[in-house]
Amino acid sequence: MKKLAGLKGKGNHLCFLIIAVLLAASPLLVSSTSMIQFLGKCMCFSIVAIALDLIWGYTGMLSLGHGIYFCLGGYGMAMYLRLRDNGGQLTDFMQTGGLEELPVFWRPFQHFPLALLFIILIPTVLAGAIGFFIFRSRIKGVYFSIITQALTWAAYSLFIANSKYTGGNNGITDFSSLLGSTRGPANRGNLLTLFWVTLLALILVYMLASFLVNRKFGKLLIAIRDGENRTFFSGYCVNNYKNFIYTLSAILAAIGGALYVNFNGSITPSQMTISYSITMVIWVAVGGRGTIIGAVIGAFFINLCEYNLSSGSLADIWQYIIGIIFCVTIVFFKGGIVGIFRDQIPALLKGRGKKKEVA
Amino acid sequence: MALMNTLFNGLSLSSIYLLVALGLAVTFGLMGVINMAHGEFVMIGAYVTFITQEIIGGNGSVAYLLSILVAFLTTFVLGCILEKVLITRLYGRKIDSLLATWGISLILQQAARSIFGSQGVNVNAPAFLKSGLTIGGCTFAYNRIFIIGLVIVWLLTVWLLMNKTSFGAKMRATMQNRAMAQCMGINSKKIDCITFGIGSGLAGVAGCSIALLGSVDSTVGQNYIVYSFMTVVLGGVGNLIGTVIGAMIIGFSSIFVEAYQSASIARAIVLLIIIVFLQFKPKGLFVIRSRSLDEE
Repeated sequence: MKKLAGLKGKGNHLCFLIIAVLLAASPLLVSSTSMIQFLGKCMCFSIVAIALDLIWGYTGMLSLGHGIYFCLGGYGMAMYLRLRDNGGQLTDFMQTGGLEELPVFWRPFQHFPLALLFIILIPTVLAGAIGFFIFRSRIKGVYFSIITQALTWAAYSLFIANSKYTGGNNGITDFSSLLGSTRGPANRGNLLTLFWVTLLALILVYMLASFLVNRKFGKLLIAIRDGENRTFFSGYCVNNYKNFIYTLSAILAAIGGALYVNFNGSITPSQMTISYSITMVIWVAVGGRGTIIGAVIGAFFINLCEYNLSSGSLADIWQYIIGIIFCVTIVFFKGGIVGIFRDQIPALLKGRGKKKEVA
Repeated sequence: MALMNTLFNGLSLSSIYLLVALGLAVTFGLMGVINMAHGEFVMIGAYVTFITQEIIGGNGSVAYLLSILVAFLTTFVLGCILEKVLITRLYGRKIDSLLATWGISLILQQAARSIFGSQGVNVNAPAFLKSGLTIGGCTFAYNRIFIIGLVIVWLLTVWLLMNKTSFGAKMRATMQNRAMAQCMGINSKKIDCITFGIGSGLAGVAGCSIALLGSVDSTVGQNYIVYSFMTVVLGGVGNLIGTVIGAMIIGFSSIFVEAYQSASIARAIVLLIIIVFLQFKPKGLFVIRSRSLDEE
C-alpha cells in the first residue's frame, strides 16, 4: 500500500517520462515532415502552457496576455533569422515603409548571442515592470485579467500600426530555422536536431517548474492563490513572490515563442491577440490547472485535436467543439484531464465499490 | 467649428461605448460576472436588426424601431438561458465564469459565421436617420444623435429600474447580501436570472445601434469588449455614474488622440493611459467602500 502511495506521488513524473520518450522516438516512427514540425510546435506550446500554469494554476493570477511574451520571444528570434538570411540588409517591409537603414532596435539582432540575450531580456524587463506596478497597486483577481487583456490589445495595436518596423499584419516571414532549412527530406537531419533540442528545452522547463512547485516556494504560491491576505499577514512579501513568478513565466513563454518560430517559419501579430492568449489558457484548463503535467497534456491534446479536426470537412465544427470542451471542462471538470484521472475516476470506482458492499 | 465637430464625435463615441458598457455595468458591476460573451450578444443584437429589416422590408424606419425591441427581447431570453445553464453553476468563481463565457463566445461567433457567412452584412439606415443636422457649418449626423438619445433613454430606464422599483430594490439587496435577501423571502435565483437577462438585453440594444455605423460580421462585438470592460473598471464597479464618466473619458480621449495619431496607435495610447491611471486608483473613479478584507 505504501509502495502504491509512493508511486502515486511520482505518477505525474512517470507520465511526463512516457510522453518525453514517445516524443524522442517519434521521428523514428513518423516519416512525414509536417507531422514532426507540428509535434515540435506542440512542445513549444507545452512550454508556454507550463509558464501559464505556474501563474494561473499555482498562483491564481489569470493572465490573458501571455501572447505578448510568446510573440516577443518569437519576434526576437525571427528578427535574428531574417537578418541572417538576407545578410543584414533591410527587409521588404522596411523598404516599403521607406526606411533608409536598419532601425536601432533591430541592430543587436544581427548577432546571435546578443539576439539571444534580448529574447530573454526584453520580456524580463517588460514583465518585471508590469508586474511591479500591477502588484504594487494590489490589482488582483479578475481585474488583473482585464488589465492584461487591455495590455495585450494595446501591444497588438502597436505592432499592427508600426508596420515598417514589425511587418504589420503579415509579421516577419521568409526565414529558415536556426540550423538552416528544415524542408524536404534532404534537410531532415536539421529538423530532427531542432526537434530534439526543443524536447530537451521542454524537459528542462518541466524539471525547473516541478523543482519550484515541489518545495516551499510552490507551497507559498498556492498559499497566495488560496488566501493572499493571510499569506501577507503571515509575514511574506506577497508582491515579490508574485512578481518573480510572473516574470519567470514571461521568460518561459518567450523561450517557447523563440523555439516556435523555428518550426513555423513565420511569426505574425495574430499570435499576440487576446483570443490566442485565451487559447493558451484553454490548453492549461483542459489539461488540468495546478499540475505541471496537466499543462503539457492539455497543450498536446488540444493541438492534436485541432490538427486532426480543423482541416477538411470538420473545419466549421472545430470551433463549436473547442467551445464546448472548454465550457464543460470549466463547469464540470475543474481539474481538467488530470483531474479526471486523479479525482473523478477514483471517486467513481470508490462509489461503485461502496454500492457493492451495501448490496 | 473643428472643435465643435471633435466634441460631437467624442460625445458620439462615448455614447456607443456607454451603450455597450451599460449591459456590462449590470452583469459585471452588479453581479460580478465577467461575461466575455457580452460582445457576442452585441453581435446578436446587430444581426437581429438585420433580420428584422429583411423580413419587414420597406424603407426600414418601422423595422428599425421594432428591431430595437426584438433585439432586446432576443438577447434577454438568450441571457436568461445562459444564466440558467452556465453562470448559475459558477457563482463565486469569477475567473471560471470569465473562461466559460469565452467558450460560449467562441460557439456564438462560429454560429454567426455558419448562418450568415464570414462576409459582413449591411443594415440599411432607416430613412429618418439618413441625413444630418447642419448648424453653422457643422453637420451632426442624425444616426449619431439618435444613438446619443437612445443611450440617455436607456440610462434613465436602468437607473429608474434599479432605484425606483421594488424589483430594483430586490436586485440590489440580493447583490449586496445574498443570504440576508434570501431570508427576507426574495427569490434570489429568479433575480439573478432576470438581472443577467437585462444586462444581456442591453447588449442587444447596443448591437442595434452599432449596426447603423458599419457592416456587421461575426467579430463585431470583439471590437468593443475590451473598451467596455475598461469603461466599467475605470468608472468603478457597481456604479452607473462611474460607468458614464468612464465611457466619456475613453470616448473623448480616443477622439482627441486620433486627431494626431492613427487609429490603432490612438487605441494603444488610450489603453495605456487608462492602465497607468488604474495604478493610482485601482478600484476606479468611484469606489464603493466596504470594510471586508477580501472583496471578491
